[in-house]
Amino acid sequence: MSIADRIRRNPLYSLKMHAAAIATGLRYLFAKPRMTVRYPEYVIDLGRNYRGMIRLHKDKCISCSLCAQVCPASAMKMYKLPGEKKMYPGINYQRCIFCGFCVDICPVNALEHTPVHDIAEEDMEGMIYLPLPGRFDREWKSPAEEEGGRKVKVEFDEEEGLKHEPE
Amino acid sequence: MTSQGSRSSETDMGYGPGTIKEPGFRYRPMGRDAEGMELYEIFIGPQHPASGHMRIVVRLDGDIIVNADPDIGYVHRTMEKLSETREYLKSIPLFERATIIDSANITWPYVRAVEQMLGVEAPLRAKYLRTLLAEINRISSHLYGFGLTGIFINHSTMYMWSFGDREIWVQLAEELTGARLTHTYIIPGGVRRDLPQGFKEKALKAIRYMERRLEDYMKIFVYNPVTVARFREVGVLTKNDASRLGIVGPNLRASGVHYDARIAEKYGAYPELDFEIPVMEEGDSLARLLVRIEEIKQSMRIIKQVLDKMPQGPFFADKYMRLIPPALRKHVAETGRIKLPGAFIRLKPPAGEAVARGEMGHGEVFYHIVSTGDTKPYRVRIITPAFRNVVLFRHLTRGARFMDLPVIYGSIDYFPPEGDR
Repeated sequence: MSIADRIRRNPLYSLKMHAAAIATGLRYLFAKPRMTVRYPEYVIDLGRNYRGMIRLHKDKCISCSLCAQVCPASAMKMYKLPGEKKMYPGINYQRCIFCGFCVDICPVNALEHTPVHDIAEEDMEGMIYLPLPGRFDREWKSPAEEEGGRKVKVEFDEEEGLKHEPE
Repeated sequence: MTSQGSRSSETDMGYGPGTIKEPGFRYRPMGRDAEGMELYEIFIGPQHPASGHMRIVVRLDGDIIVNADPDIGYVHRTMEKLSETREYLKSIPLFERATIIDSANITWPYVRAVEQMLGVEAPLRAKYLRTLLAEINRISSHLYGFGLTGIFINHSTMYMWSFGDREIWVQLAEELTGARLTHTYIIPGGVRRDLPQGFKEKALKAIRYMERRLEDYMKIFVYNPVTVARFREVGVLTKNDASRLGIVGPNLRASGVHYDARIAEKYGAYPELDFEIPVMEEGDSLARLLVRIEEIKQSMRIIKQVLDKMPQGPFFADKYMRLIPPALRKHVAETGRIKLPGAFIRLKPPAGEAVARGEMGHGEVFYHIVSTGDTKPYRVRIITPAFRNVVLFRHLTRGARFMDLPVIYGSIDYFPPEGDR
């Protein structure tokens, strides 16, 4: 007879399983919260593997336009800005899906992911990053971290699952 | 859909007095049966929190469900048609969004079908890495379904626990691929990133944690007498019906049919791994839960073996690696991240057709691609497991009590965006 059938037919066994369920719940009642990170006081360090905001190294770019061609969401386009001879990529974060194909296809490693994703803009135009100084080539930093948020590292733990340890 | 024609004009009383006007939940009397009892038609969704992105039209005789019709299509995004306008590579991020909780498993068969047409085979290490991510995804997909099943019957502990523990597998996938859900990891020719350093230790810790937690799950939810009372012998799907209706995945295996596309198709690293396909005979809602628990255990067993047996070697097909300059090849070897050749944007499979199937968390997914030799497919047909299983709403609910509906919904793990594509 399966456990489920024993629970249904034997009231004593059912009582035992009720008690087991309650005991399991009680055991976790007083455990400290495990997974919640109190953003923005604490910011998760996403690590350099993370596919976050994309940064352009304009000096390396050879204007091959492969990044604009591979973009599945048409977020990346080539722009020819006044006063420049070559075209450079610009990105529209309204469209970007962070698949990272542009970073992977760049033959000169002019594009790179940054481990930052908590960026907000005040208007829709602000989400379009043209290849201008301080825009697409800017060095990203989490705004929460800039305002004093402490970085926490994600660690795997056998007891607690995920642990967030301040660095 | 509701069958408007079957309702005669005298029985159709419309929205009469006594109609409850609660958002997302309304019913109306449909007339009387022979004994003078009123039949009711109840609309659950599409705004109801437990209905998902769909609507269920239920007809009730007292507390007994006469008929339940799933009204699907609310999240239809024309993925098949959209893929005809995209190059082969660009369809991968698109198809991921059909089942965002199981994105590796839903794109893998597509990539395999494209590989068949291109005549490329992924290196062995890439196959192992694909298997690794697929199993991580399978666990998080099952945990997601588990959490929803819990909240459907108001067991919010199960909901919180399984969504919290799913975070561990999402984190593991993030460390491997760089993205939490939309990994876009499996591409024609191999995978995009090599195994990061220290991944094995992290995965083993996660497995040991999860094994312990599964025991807690059994105590607090699965073998909780309250759950057993609500799931046992509810929504029984017989073995005969399961195969007749074309049910796939854990729902099929809970009815005693030993079928899994991982075994049937022998793709990835599965033929070299030792694992079991959990099968149960009962076919009720509880059996469907238990099969998923067993599958999580088997997936963890697969992950352990994959990490032990992971062969050395390239993770991307040599055919494409030769197309990138030597300096970049060195970069790939140093960083463990792929560099795509420029020709990869316009992959051009020769004219022909290819089919592939794979096992997702929800069941078997099937792709049929027709190429005319162009850079874009002529036609991509996707049959997702949720779409095959949606028939169960009508089949299993007939004759059940109304409050069994959330239990049946939860146990068949229907995922509307996947069914609608």
